[in-house]
Amino acid sequence: MKKTKIVVLFTLYFIQISYSQDYNFNSATIPQNIKEDAHSVVLFDQVSVELKSQKSMSYIVKKAVTVLNKFGNGNRYVVVPYDGSRRIKSVSTIIYNAFGNQIKKVKNKEYKDVSQVDGGTLFADNRLLYFEYIPLSYPYTIYYEYEIETSNTAFIPSWNPLSDFETGLLTSSYQINYNKELKLNIREINFENYKVEKSENENSLNYKISNLEPINKEPLSLSLKELLPNVKIASNQFYVEGEAGEASNWKELGKWEYDNLYRDVGYLSDETVAKINLLVKDADSDLEKAKIIYQYVQDKTRYISVQVGIGGLKPMLASEVDRLGYGDCKALTNYTKSLLNAVGVKSYFTELFGGFERLDMDFNSPSIQGNHVILNLPLEEGDVWLECTSQKVPFGYIANFTDDRNVIVIKPEGGELKKTTVYPAQNNIQLTKGNFAIDNDGTINAKLKIESSGTQYNDNLDSYEGKNPTELDAQFKAYFNSINNIVFSKIEVLNNKNDVKYEENIEFSASNYASISGNKMLINVNAFNKNTVVPKRIRNRKLPFEISRGFVDIDEVEIKLPKTYEIEYVPTKKEITSKFGTYTFELIKINDYNYLYKRKLQIETGKYKPEEYEDYRNFKKDININDNIKIILKTI
Amino acid sequence: MKKILNILIFMLVLTNLQGQDYRIGKISKEELSEKVYPLDSTANAVKLYVNKRVYFRYSQNIGYQLITEVQERIKIYNKEGYDWATKEIKYYTPVASTSERLSIQNAKTYVLENGKIESYKLKNNEIFTDKNNKYWSTDKFTMPNIVDGCIVEWKYIIISPYSSIDKIVLQSSIPTKKFEADIEIPEYYNFNLKETGYFRINSTISTRNDNIILSNNDRENRNGFSTQKIDLTKKVIKIDNENIPALIEEPYVNEITNYASTLHFELASIKWPQSPIEYFSQTWENVTKTIYKNGDFGPELEKSGYFKDDLQLLISKSGGDTNKLIVEIFEFVKQKVKWNNVAGIYTYNGVKEAYKTSVGNTADINFILIAMLKEAGIQANPIILSTRDNGIPIFPTINGFNYVIAGIEVENDVILLDATEEFSAPDLLPLRVLNWQGRIIRESGTSTWVNLTPKASSETNTTLNISVKKNGEIEGMKRTVFVNNSALNYRNKYGNSSQEKIIEKIEENENIEIIDHRISNYSDLYLPVTELLKFNKKNAVDIIGDKIYFKPLLFLATTKNPFKLENREYPVDFGTPIGSKEIVSIVIPDGYVVESIPESLAIALPNDYGVYHLKISTAENKINVYSMLQINTPVYPVENYPALKEFFKVLVNKNLEQIILKKQV
Repeated sequence: MKKTKIVVLFTLYFIQISYSQDYNFNSATIPQNIKEDAHSVVLFDQVSVELKSQKSMSYIVKKAVTVLNKFGNGNRYVVVPYDGSRRIKSVSTIIYNAFGNQIKKVKNKEYKDVSQVDGGTLFADNRLLYFEYIPLSYPYTIYYEYEIETSNTAFIPSWNPLSDFETGLLTSSYQINYNKELKLNIREINFENYKVEKSENENSLNYKISNLEPINKEPLSLSLKELLPNVKIASNQFYVEGEAGEASNWKELGKWEYDNLYRDVGYLSDETVAKINLLVKDADSDLEKAKIIYQYVQDKTRYISVQVGIGGLKPMLASEVDRLGYGDCKALTNYTKSLLNAVGVKSYFTELFGGFERLDMDFNSPSIQGNHVILNLPLEEGDVWLECTSQKVPFGYIANFTDDRNVIVIKPEGGELKKTTVYPAQNNIQLTKGNFAIDNDGTINAKLKIESSGTQYNDNLDSYEGKNPTELDAQFKAYFNSINNIVFSKIEVLNNKNDVKYEENIEFSASNYASISGNKMLINVNAFNKNTVVPKRIRNRKLPFEISRGFVDIDEVEIKLPKTYEIEYVPTKKEITSKFGTYTFELIKINDYNYLYKRKLQIETGKYKPEEYEDYRNFKKDININDNIKIILKTI
Repeated sequence: MKKILNILIFMLVLTNLQGQDYRIGKISKEELSEKVYPLDSTANAVKLYVNKRVYFRYSQNIGYQLITEVQERIKIYNKEGYDWATKEIKYYTPVASTSERLSIQNAKTYVLENGKIESYKLKNNEIFTDKNNKYWSTDKFTMPNIVDGCIVEWKYIIISPYSSIDKIVLQSSIPTKKFEADIEIPEYYNFNLKETGYFRINSTISTRNDNIILSNNDRENRNGFSTQKIDLTKKVIKIDNENIPALIEEPYVNEITNYASTLHFELASIKWPQSPIEYFSQTWENVTKTIYKNGDFGPELEKSGYFKDDLQLLISKSGGDTNKLIVEIFEFVKQKVKWNNVAGIYTYNGVKEAYKTSVGNTADINFILIAMLKEAGIQANPIILSTRDNGIPIFPTINGFNYVIAGIEVENDVILLDATEEFSAPDLLPLRVLNWQGRIIRESGTSTWVNLTPKASSETNTTLNISVKKNGEIEGMKRTVFVNNSALNYRNKYGNSSQEKIIEKIEENENIEIIDHRISNYSDLYLPVTELLKFNKKNAVDIIGDKIYFKPLLFLATTKNPFKLENREYPVDFGTPIGSKEIVSIVIPDGYVVESIPESLAIALPNDYGVYHLKISTAENKINVYSMLQINTPVYPVENYPALKEFFKVLVNKNLEQIILKKQV
């Protein structure tokens, strides 16, 4: 009933732009080399920024994309993000057919206005205005332009000429006109191999790039941002959510941030301070104290994100987190910092880009950037980094999300450049020890212990920690996915935080593990840890590739064969060496029916050339074959 | 008086005896100190108590308003259950005058600290209102101070100017210890009720007397003020359930939420005193009439002028062949109007606008199709139905239907058409539509059920001709024919990929290297898709000593049992009957002979639900393998689950057995 009783009422707060310019949107005129292999072609992408003063900025985006086939349909959306401090002044969208004739002008009521809240966020005041075009035929061209007005000058649009694979580009240009009294910090990246036209005068700056052929996405490749030219711009004098600032380097920016965002948020009640001091009274070093407090924070808090106004930048008060028991990364980091401070341990906010992909803070471009905050403790023993949003990881553990990257440590006297902990391949170990026995009928009975450390600790933690028995059963069925009919008699997992090891004790049996064909029994030797993934073949790979985190797997498994059979064939050993790593296995005879299987796989971290990709595939294929070796028995 | 007192005392005693106080804020130490839920140790959180009160409140100036009050008490055992401390409540807010109002009360976290119960209140500024879009808002909050073992409790009230009662869902992904509901409906309203789900709802219906006091504030009245009392009866529905298990997701289930125990309400009619009865829905005929009468249904279907010229062209193109004409019109509509992904039984922009702008919802598109077919003299009618994610329409309800397709009634059969789906064909519907049955509505006003389950099975037939090389490589051709829904799936899966991407995907899945790849009938939707591959595969067989080992079906073998669960709660939903056939012909390398081949196998499921055959034969240097799987039912009953699991276990084991070749001496 509800849904049919709809009253339409829509207030317009933006105006349509009227056109004075004529463009050629005829898709036949796109040069062959730009549209070959492309799903779409950006005809032009113009960003024009007017930085009128420290407190006032507007920018106009004009973009036309020709979608050549339905695979390019990601371009059918027009999305304009806005919020309390970013106002949409105008927006307009027009669709053209293959010949460049206008077929649709989008009406105001066709834009949808929705809130933009992602999964991990309880609330944020960001919103989106968007339009989705439903294509009738191809090619078509979608042209849109919009203007945004804002007082936040801390986030000046950057120039990224092309952000999608399989997309050609005719021209992309960027212009900024700025008030001469403002000093800009300009950072040009990846300009070496591309022809970028640049012009500047005392109050404006222009960039333009033309005729980029499409780039196809390939496995393990770097992102387009890492490959193509781009420009980041920041103003030394800026304004953000009601606060003015000035900085020409990270030291000054760090100081401004400390003074405006972080200095006055650390208050804790006397009661809490007393309580926390009692908690650490027996600790005899800063490290000991910090460990106790980290555990206390993990037990007490959980991650909930609320982003409103400057709250998007400024942490929630420590006393609020103390009362509520939740907060986002800034809030929880601030809370931990305040507790540490209460017991006399120094620590600092650290800004960075969090994510599996390693993304650095740009040391050469001081501007408010990054998407995550952790805590830095400069202890006697060395730098300790604390991830305050996790309830599960051990003290100082940061693999897979904030490791090995450039960060900015915010100290009262200013920003300091540092790099976080690196987890080298040889420390990322998964050790599997166990045994299995095969019955007359091919049933396997197995017992094993898996212990993982380094980055592999985190892989296992994510898969198993906190899961109930039903979920663990399903998880381990997936892990041993090449074994059918598996029935677990024991699944024990242990998060050994002290030694930073994740431990699993598993016992299972599975009927028909060995397959019986005629008078033969075939037994897969590697029951516990098969490496089966071979990256897909790419004909004429063009992009370099990266193995972002190396690791080591070590397996030691005793195998007991059924005595009612006689041995026909037992493989002996194999060693494969390549620049990507090494693989070895060996089957050592203990006695007639007992063997010890030893296997080691080490994959190195590294960046490689496109032509090395086929070698990498062959290396993985070889591993795959050797992980499938079999013992063959025959009936006596 | 004394009598009442006795009852009160008795009630207090009773509450004490049960040891459980469900009144808001009355949290016990026992509840707080519980470490694990005794009835389901895997539960990370449990709804200790849910109470829903739904009633109509009369006020003189406004009339009836629908009030929904919900109290929830949730025990959180561990960190994995912390998400239950966050609550989102969605409500309808088009414009102020017709919006629902929400208030949240008594929201507190209860924690046992040093043997004492401490409570932490949710503050008003910790509740966020998110305006999702033009019509809906959501209030969100997360409770303060959550620790393992705590209890959160809140109450919220929605005041609605509408008279539709939301369905009451008893089951969620965590268990519920006690669930009570109390729904009071004044005699003027008549609701249809229906229960769905596997867990039984314990409900009672009774009648109670009630009255409305109207006051007359007329100044000219000498008494200044008079009142009028109207007596009426109320229908009272009570739900009282305990120990409701969690609803757990299983593979091959058609929307798990369709299996949650639920009480559905549908407004059937309203009869005000001294007014004629106003029907909304009640019987299938009534529902159908109500829908047909709606301005966005019947009248939209009858419009016809807008496509005249186009239709003439199609008629002349078909040269008098009715079947050809159906296809012409169907294909024309598919090309002409594109779906905006909005389902609905009523038109969105109207057929004319949809026709003009080439965009429409399901009703816009399929009504154009029906109108054109009719105009061309073909007896087409709308079939309303409920998509899989909308649940099954169980009792006469308008809301139960959310989708409309076209049906052409021919002798003993109905041809089904859905022009919203790019790759669909007559009688080949997208999976979302394959949901039990739909109702065809004829012009004459009559209506009847139409079975939507595909009669034809979804088939995949593969021929593989390969030769095994001495170096362990195989090379050859693979030809696969995809029929019916299997063809639709193929087209959907690869419809958004270039040939290069298709090849990459197949290479990745099968671990083969493709030399040549061809697809025929890809765009001719009236024929099965045929895919032809020329390929080779290194290390496809195991060479061990002087022997070669390989699976008879090679990389086509089914090596994993899709049914891993020990037990199952819900039927296995295959969507359609399924057929899959593989014919493999293998040439063995020179100098080798067959040492052994697996024995043939023939197994069947109970009640002719399915069969599997594997036959292997040899002739000179060739091995021929025939494998055939047939599932004859789209939905397989849960009672026979063990047989299905065993069936696939035997099938997989057989598929894993090896052919052994040995060197000739």
